[in-house]
Amino acid sequence: MDGIPILSLLTFLPAIGAGIILLISGAIRQDGQEAGSKDVLWAGIFVSIATFLLSLFVFFVSFDKDVADYQMVEQAAWFGNISYKMGVDGLSISLILLTTFLTPLCLIASLNSIKMRLTEYVVAFLLLETLVIGVFTALDLFLFYIFFEAGLIPMFLIIGIWGGANRIYAAFKFFLYTLLGSLFMLIAMIYMYSVAGTSDFEALEQFAFSPAAQTWLWLAFFASFAVKMPMWPVHTWLPDAHVEAPTAGSVILAGILLKLGAYGMLRFLLPMFPDASLDFQPFVFALSVIAIVYASLVAFRQTDMKKLIAYSSVAHMGFVTLGIFSFNTIGVQGAVFQMLSHGFISSALFLIVGVVYDRMHTRKIADYGGLVTAMPVYAAFFMLFTMANVGLPGTSGFVGEIMSMAGGFLAARWVAVGAALGVIFSAVYMLRLYRETIFGPMTNSALEGIKDLTRLEVLTLAPLAAATIIFGIAPWLIFNITDSAVARILAEMAGG
Amino acid sequence: MLPDIVLLFIVLGPGLSALVAGFGKPFWGDRFAMLVTTVTVCTAGILSLYQLFAYAFGGNGAEEAVHVAYAAEAAHASKAFDPYIITLMNWVDVAGFKADWAIRVDALSIVMMAVITSVSGLVHVYSWGYMSDDPHRGRFFTYLALFTFTMLMLVVADNFLQLFFGWEGVGLASYLLIGFYNQKASANDAAIKAFVTNRVGDFGLALGIMGIYFLFGSIEFGPVLNAIQDNAILTPLALVEAGPVQSLTIDFIGLNINALELIGVLLFIGAMGKSAQLFLHVWLPDAMEGPTPVSALIHAATMVTAGVYLVCLMSPLYEYAPGAAAMVTVIGALTALFAATVGLAQNDIKRVIAYSTCSQLGYMFFAAGVGAYEAAMFHLFTHAFFKALLFLGAGSVIHGNHHEQDMRNMGGIWIYQKFTYISMLIGTIAIIGLGLPFTKFGFAGFFSKDGIIESAFSASLLGVPYASMAFWAGIIAALLTSFYSWRLIYMTFHGPRASDIAGTEAHAQAHSDDAHGHDDHHSHGPFTPHESPAIMLIPLGLLALGAIFAGVLFYDPMFHHSEAFWAGAIYHSADNTVIAGIDAMKYKGGYEWVFWAPLFVTIIGFLVASFTYYFNRGIGKTMADQGGPLHSLFYNKWYFDEIYQASFVKLTRGLGDTLWKIGDKKLIDGLGPDGMTRLANWGARRISAMHTGFLYHYAFIIIGGVLLFGFVFFIVNGGTS
Repeated sequence: MDGIPILSLLTFLPAIGAGIILLISGAIRQDGQEAGSKDVLWAGIFVSIATFLLSLFVFFVSFDKDVADYQMVEQAAWFGNISYKMGVDGLSISLILLTTFLTPLCLIASLNSIKMRLTEYVVAFLLLETLVIGVFTALDLFLFYIFFEAGLIPMFLIIGIWGGANRIYAAFKFFLYTLLGSLFMLIAMIYMYSVAGTSDFEALEQFAFSPAAQTWLWLAFFASFAVKMPMWPVHTWLPDAHVEAPTAGSVILAGILLKLGAYGMLRFLLPMFPDASLDFQPFVFALSVIAIVYASLVAFRQTDMKKLIAYSSVAHMGFVTLGIFSFNTIGVQGAVFQMLSHGFISSALFLIVGVVYDRMHTRKIADYGGLVTAMPVYAAFFMLFTMANVGLPGTSGFVGEIMSMAGGFLAARWVAVGAALGVIFSAVYMLRLYRETIFGPMTNSALEGIKDLTRLEVLTLAPLAAATIIFGIAPWLIFNITDSAVARILAEMAGG
Repeated sequence: MLPDIVLLFIVLGPGLSALVAGFGKPFWGDRFAMLVTTVTVCTAGILSLYQLFAYAFGGNGAEEAVHVAYAAEAAHASKAFDPYIITLMNWVDVAGFKADWAIRVDALSIVMMAVITSVSGLVHVYSWGYMSDDPHRGRFFTYLALFTFTMLMLVVADNFLQLFFGWEGVGLASYLLIGFYNQKASANDAAIKAFVTNRVGDFGLALGIMGIYFLFGSIEFGPVLNAIQDNAILTPLALVEAGPVQSLTIDFIGLNINALELIGVLLFIGAMGKSAQLFLHVWLPDAMEGPTPVSALIHAATMVTAGVYLVCLMSPLYEYAPGAAAMVTVIGALTALFAATVGLAQNDIKRVIAYSTCSQLGYMFFAAGVGAYEAAMFHLFTHAFFKALLFLGAGSVIHGNHHEQDMRNMGGIWIYQKFTYISMLIGTIAIIGLGLPFTKFGFAGFFSKDGIIESAFSASLLGVPYASMAFWAGIIAALLTSFYSWRLIYMTFHGPRASDIAGTEAHAQAHSDDAHGHDDHHSHGPFTPHESPAIMLIPLGLLALGAIFAGVLFYDPMFHHSEAFWAGAIYHSADNTVIAGIDAMKYKGGYEWVFWAPLFVTIIGFLVASFTYYFNRGIGKTMADQGGPLHSLFYNKWYFDEIYQASFVKLTRGLGDTLWKIGDKKLIDGLGPDGMTRLANWGARRISAMHTGFLYHYAFIIIGGVLLFGFVFFIVNGGTS
């Protein structure tokens, strides 16, 4: 396989597909045919499935899980000391797989819900996929920055064009928050480049920044990542963005984009600024515990299904930051696992909300109730993902939570106590949501005759259900991939 | 020991049958689901009972002698009997946080497996009759089998993580079954209450598991329990200094406490939730919203005993954590007493039995707390039979009386339901523990409950903290138990029929409303109660056999001379001679009254109940009507629900609202993005307001600007230009 830039191929395959789709659909339009036919979506689904297959090929054939360092490295001079450099380790490959796994599901779920500007929609999604994969493959500061920031644009458009009534407010809030954080990061990157004389990840991981510089760099990067996570108190863009985004947008946002912040923390904060990370440990712990408890309490009082799940995401990402900053193997592994698991579960929950939204065009909890008799299959899927979100052992939700908490327990007991409180509240808000939508008598007459899941909807939910259960009872499937990378990150932190 | 394949079948069979039933039901119907689950669980039940009997009584003499000798040696050497473990698959293995999916068989799990599968099998059979006209009975059986599977996974775990899987798995099954009638608001409320209250307990259990990982670097039973018994020198994961495990301390939210004590308390919080002990008991009575077979299986015989099982499994820990053990004793004793007082005043037949369960669980806990783990497990075992019998009997009454659950509306039905009546009588005699001290004549409860009371007294002689308090709580609770149990019998089965008194207080509502299922409260016109079908009575009969004979059969192996039976699965420290002390009390003299006291108070309870609810039925009613503050305290369950509603529930709601509306909207958004936007807009308006278009405005600003710059330049240059 030597010589073929397979990572670049994987990264840009969706974008190439998007380009072809754009050309062909433009050609079709010139022929005077109806624009916005479903064929465009199917073409997008085809491209994303091809990408998924390629990523599987990369994982099973090219990737060696026993190698701790970056592998499949591709490098080409770009300008100055900056090079186009790509490579993956166990951490990034697992997130790439998550991305390529979720994107086709998103596009399939869009078949019924998106009615306008289909070509642009598909192009935006495929570009987003390229940019996200790029974030995970980039091994150069500036390459990373480009992918990281450019990813904002398609997401901004997806919310702003295909979103709900209040989409402009949500899109701008999303944009403002994330951009603000990113500016600090850009300045920090320029500073790093000027001091270390390189923008290469591997070189930077070896470079020892002075403690004072580390503090400022840490804060700058943290600002950007904290917004992306999102951590309390910079989380308020997320509920609005979710509520206004189309279903597939929410899925991508919760499933993948929220992972960029945590990925950044593991790539930059721990290995490059180890001293500052240690100093800020209590600070991050405090924010994490606040996020878990605060967001869970707020979720309990929500009246909008998507907002509730959005707040639940904030709480669950709190476990990720908690695990990462415990700086021990179990905590960091738990955090990485929680990222992936949350990718399945929250995605599934947004799809679940999308199912009834497509039928009823309301997300208000009060408009539902008693769905179980009309939609038993739906109720069964919903129950599974509710329990997964609550962290029931046997689902993937449990493993990440208990391990991040155990990591926190080793570092500081109060963190585990606070986080465990959040576990109680998660049951409160999820069971309330389930009860008020699925159980009880069907009081809203508009619900009568509501149809159970279509085959296509089952097709989108079943893979996520399978992932939730398989990784719930055999999480070592993932730990096997990630453990050498996590060990390297922790070793760099201890050594640096 | 049974062959591996049989053990696998017992544990995994019910789980597979639940899967097959759940996925097969849409294609092959309810009967298919019922058949698959019932056959599987019943087979597992027979096999597990065989295993128990073979383990307790089996083997030829020579083998047994070897076994006993080995076990005795093991017990003396303070080494845990190596349990038999089948490892199925790895689950997690990260940095010592290692857990396998496994089947671990020791004496504790043999007892638990027998209880779970046999009661579950009978409940499955019984439900064929009880749920016969429910449109969702296929789903019901699927849940029952799922429950059986998760409960088995709990008791065969070889590590804390699988235990936690079973622990929360039974919670899920319990949630689904309590809320089985999911159209009913009260059932949904009860289901959520059960799940959330259990989660509060699980909060403790999860932290306890983390503490164990912290301390031992392992979450497997074997290494952890052995390390405690050996007082091994350990270096906890996040501490620098090594030390013998029994004296290590741990920083915990500002406290520095003995690590074993902390873990003991945290694990017990988990046990309190699952086993409905005082403060976390509030979910159990509400759980009666579930169909009655569920109450018998989950909320009487099996799931609620998981906490007792956990404490007994952790006997090495509690032996060296006297503070935590004292907490177990105190909470157990208080619960035994508290729940019995509430049981006195309830009118719903299932609620009386629910509080009775709560109270009996209290007995088991204080037995474990004072160090008589054998007594706790023995009572767990016998209690499963007679309490399941009482619940299924109550179900038969409810079934035969058109879903009536209020005992005030019953009365005189023994003539119509003779078989049920006799079964209930047997159950009652078993729970009040009727038997002749110093002999082996008695029903199951006599052996186990008196065993607990004697253990508590024996422990008090050894100076175990709070043991004498537990003893007296046990005596008083026995008095109350006898009273409320007979009250139940009299109100339900004896006296005139309530409908005869009430005349034709016409309740015309039809009762064939299938969607509402059984345990639904709605009233009916006069009717003649009918005996339940044979498929419901057969399980009653079998359980009655258990209620009579489980005690006398297993008194020696499980309790009295039990070293060989428990074979190291239960551990005693060197100075724990509680069980042996009972024999000493028996034969040394001076303590005979301890053995007679339970019988004495039981008879008093019986006489009082007979006087107030049989010979003078009016008195009981008058007592209830004019009971005064004590009666309303008991009737209203000591107002726990009201207090929790006014504190925790209200607080959670209020905090949620405040944080959302003030925290997020006003503060974060108001000062953050929205505030920024407002500021920017305001600034833009101000600046654009300057763009007036009038020349003299611009000229004025230019001149002012030049002057200002000049002034600044002048100042900066030190005024020397």
